[in-house]
Amino acid sequence: MAKKPIIQFNHVMKQFDDDAPVLDHVSFEIEKGKFYTLLGPSGCGKTTILRLIAGFTEATSGDILFEGKKINHVPANKRPINTVFQDYALFPHLNVYENVAFGLRIKKVKKADMDAKVKEALSFVNLKGYENREIAGMSGGQKQRVAIARAIVNEPAIILLDEPLSALDLKLRYQMQYELRELQRRLGITFIFVTHDQEEALAMSDEIFVLNKGKIQQSGTPNDIYDEPINRFVADFIGESNIIRATMIKDFLVEFAGKQFECVDQGMDPNEAVEIVIRPEDMEITSVEQGSILVTVQAQLFRGVHYEITCMDDAQNTWLVQSTKKVNIGEKIGLRFTPEDIHVMRLNESEEDFDRRLDAYGEDENNAK
Amino acid sequence: MQNKTFRNLFMLPYALWIIIFVIAPILLVVYFSFFDINGNFSLTNYKNFFTATYLQMTLNSFWYAFLITVISLLIAYPTAYILTRTKHKQLWLLLIIVPSWINLLLKAYAFIGIFGTHGAANRFLEWAGIGSRQLLFTDFSFVFVAVYIFIPFMILPIFNALDKLNPSLLYAASDLGASKWTTFRRVIFPLTLDGVKSGCQVVFIPALSLFMLTRLIAGNRVITLGTAIEQQFLVTQNWGMGATIAVFLIIIMVGFMALTSIRRRGV
Ligand SMILES: Nc1ncnc2c1ncn2[C@@H]1O[C@H](COP(=O)(O)OP(=O)(O)OP(=O)(O)O)[C@@H](O)[C@H]1O
Ligand SMILES: [Mg+2]
Repeated sequence: MAKKPIIQFNHVMKQFDDDAPVLDHVSFEIEKGKFYTLLGPSGCGKTTILRLIAGFTEATSGDILFEGKKINHVPANKRPINTVFQDYALFPHLNVYENVAFGLRIKKVKKADMDAKVKEALSFVNLKGYENREIAGMSGGQKQRVAIARAIVNEPAIILLDEPLSALDLKLRYQMQYELRELQRRLGITFIFVTHDQEEALAMSDEIFVLNKGKIQQSGTPNDIYDEPINRFVADFIGESNIIRATMIKDFLVEFAGKQFECVDQGMDPNEAVEIVIRPEDMEITSVEQGSILVTVQAQLFRGVHYEITCMDDAQNTWLVQSTKKVNIGEKIGLRFTPEDIHVMRLNESEEDFDRRLDAYGEDENNAK
Repeated sequence: MQNKTFRNLFMLPYALWIIIFVIAPILLVVYFSFFDINGNFSLTNYKNFFTATYLQMTLNSFWYAFLITVISLLIAYPTAYILTRTKHKQLWLLLIIVPSWINLLLKAYAFIGIFGTHGAANRFLEWAGIGSRQLLFTDFSFVFVAVYIFIPFMILPIFNALDKLNPSLLYAASDLGASKWTTFRRVIFPLTLDGVKSGCQVVFIPALSLFMLTRLIAGNRVITLGTAIEQQFLVTQNWGMGATIAVFLIIIMVGFMALTSIRRRGV
């Protein structure tokens, strides 16, 4: 353990009234200075986690620690944490300067210092000279930057961002993704970012927590999560994927679509029922003779960068393939992939078991690659 | 072109309404104010208005209207605030609004009963060991009843303003380090100021010209511009003087409206 986590959740549970818990024994650690993303479908509890960290609501049970100290009952205004709200929550009766200076005024910062800090924060988000603008007259992207400036000007330990980009058009969104990531690197502040857009999560994060139904499904770097999803939910949620029922014959040998394939996974029981994932971009279209499996083309969509081709094999499994090559519907083609492209998932494996298994065989797996 | 004539046609009934019921009466009032009690054209009424009696009366009216407005506001704001936080807020609001549907006169008479020598209020005072006393025909009872009558009109606009307030603004304030009190001072109050202003308008302006209530509850204890106008028209039959007081009343009202309607930038 190198550094002490800045935020730690220990079996945090959150329940409203008598409904099913919104967060179900959630535990995780956040390290200082990194960019974290909470990713999950609508209603999975992302905002609830942010609200717990910010202090707008209290956990039903479990502990929330800040730098090792329990902060369950510390009110929001006493936490060195600032939030960029999903709807920006800028004060409509104040201009840009006053919005950004709001936190500084409460801390009774001297006028000259305040001017300097507000100016610096605004130039950080490329809004130099906007001090006297009214909020009502600003575009979505500008409002969002004011909201970010309002948070960073206080130099908090952590900034929480609740889907701040969801209201922007695609182009501005990409631009803001770069700017946010860049900003985080420059400031070195811990960012906890919420999104339900997997591409955004993969592009921006040091670490991603994938949530579903109030539980953390998997946490790890974007690469880990993309390449080694722990279960069907994660594989499906993070990018397009082909998920096929399979049987693990023995270590490094898996059977699906009526054939046996070499793979790089191990540690399962012999003949265990599993699922395999192959990403559409990892498969190559070849002739029938050269293909690892044989399929019939059913549909084809032009996606700009590539064609998205839907095929079916003889065992009635549907395969999604991305290719720059055009094919003909009804044509029989071969799909080729290597053992590294196959990722085997056990059914109902918990994150701890998954990590333990990978650790136990980590050495071998590295050798295999 | 055609559209415009069409629109003007639609405007006609409203224009007529305003001319007949707003502009014409005001002009008439101004016109009457220039005639003395004998029907001669003169400025005596205006001269009279600037004597101690009438100025005192104006001050009185102001003072009571101010008192009624401030007390209503002090009660209505917290009430509206609590209302927005309750579960069935619309129902509670309705319960508070319902009394305002009852005729003013009925309520005044009800209070005469309650505040009378043998009324419920005095019986309570006796029971509490304080002993009965004169309640009716005091300025206390006047202000009390007036506040009771006006309070729903103060609560309603404030409630609406508070209800419209985006709750994430309150979280944002607390997130930026504001205590509950600072949040109220810097965010909640400024953002509900429009509601407070319209509440003050709908209370202050009618309170300025109250006369029936003044007569019934305060007797001769409280003499305001409203009662003076009534007196001039109905008792003294000096329409000219009554009209003059009305002119000043109108001027004060317009002034107050202008004062409370000044919009700050951006809001
Ligand atoms: N105050 C509340 N009372 C009752 N239930 C609530 C409350 N706040 C949130 N919930 C429930 O908690 C669950 C998780 O809500 P949360 O806002 O954390 O979801 P989310 O992951 O942020 O979703 P989204 O992507 O739609 O913003 C939802 O089912 C929601 O209905
Ligand atoms: Mg949310």
